[in-house]
Amino acid sequence: MASKKGGGDSSSSKSSWLAVDNKPVKIDKWDTAALKNALDDAAKKVMLEKYGYRESTHLIDLRLLICTVGVGFAMFALVWDYLRPFPESRPILIISSLTVLRYFVLMGVLTLYTTYKEKGIFLVALDKDKAGVDPDNVWTLASYLRKYDDIYQLTMTYKKGETGLEREDKMSKSVANFFDENGVLCSDLYEPIITSLQSKLSTEKKE
Amino acid sequence: MGLLDLDFLDDVRRMNKRQMYYQVLNFGMIVSSALMIWKGLMVVTGSESPIVVVLSGSMEPAFYRGDLLFLTNYQEEPIRVGEIVVFKVEGRDIPIVHRVLKVHEGQILDDGTVRFLTKGDNNSVDDRGLYAPGQLWLEKKDVVGRARGFVPYVGIVTILMNDYPKFKYAILACLGAFVLIHRE
Repeated sequence: MASKKGGGDSSSSKSSWLAVDNKPVKIDKWDTAALKNALDDAAKKVMLEKYGYRESTHLIDLRLLICTVGVGFAMFALVWDYLRPFPESRPILIISSLTVLRYFVLMGVLTLYTTYKEKGIFLVALDKDKAGVDPDNVWTLASYLRKYDDIYQLTMTYKKGETGLEREDKMSKSVANFFDENGVLCSDLYEPIITSLQSKLSTEKKE
Repeated sequence: MGLLDLDFLDDVRRMNKRQMYYQVLNFGMIVSSALMIWKGLMVVTGSESPIVVVLSGSMEPAFYRGDLLFLTNYQEEPIRVGEIVVFKVEGRDIPIVHRVLKVHEGQILDDGTVRFLTKGDNNSVDDRGLYAPGQLWLEKKDVVGRARGFVPYVGIVTILMNDYPKFKYAILACLGAFVLIHRE
């Protein structure tokens, strides 16, 4: 695991910055999803709290909407079927253009949406123009961690508001670089990665 | 950290409102996917219960306890002697799977209804003793579906779950909690 080994006592100093509620982020290090979530959250925290960018929630809101509508259809069909048991409810199960079918269509849409539109994007942050004249600069962070794999890929995209130019940078490193033996996230090892990506992308613009 | 170490809830504690809501939705989607598959099957097969599990040995050697039956209930298809039907009897919660022994339709019954009698292959007498008191024949409205295919022994899980309801609820509760707490 990480070069710095240590138990709970030293972890407080290491991961103080990215701690949540003053508690260092400790996860089950064998759980891929938990690893990815912890790293995503930490990167998000750096971007939002250190640089003061505002999070844009359009992507996740849309996903929530699709889910809600899907589950809503299912609930509707269920309640209807409960009130008027089956042979009678058949028309409504079909007529409402197949509530049932619509549910599955929506679930398909959701899958397509998460694979093609979100593409692992976990943060869209807006760097508001101070004068409020130019469009916002947009930072997009996407990550990818395959199941049973230890290589965490982080893609940072920067879109300049005035020019619309896009720049992208990537890093892929083993997750072992950022967690200690106990599964505590070491912010002092992870934060520099984010800040260096950020500064690299934002300084290039001055050329 | 104390005796009550709720570390496993850390995942949940770190979520924001949107993630929390998504977690609930995720749970909802799993439940409704299962329900919608069931309802979809109902619409396609026309049967209110397209899949049933054989609970008794009365149809041996055709079906054994635990066999999973796939049913259809198309109104336009006539019921014929020799077919295996699943039917409900007033006053009994559980549908019965038995073979059609006699059918009356057409000339005798002018109203276009069908009346039929059933019997389990493994039973020595017909089903009149199982029907509601005074009932001699089954009608089309009693039919849940006709057996179209079966998968042997798979349904034994269902039988076990029904025999030990606490076991069933424990499993369901664990799965539900896991989905809600575990962040994807």
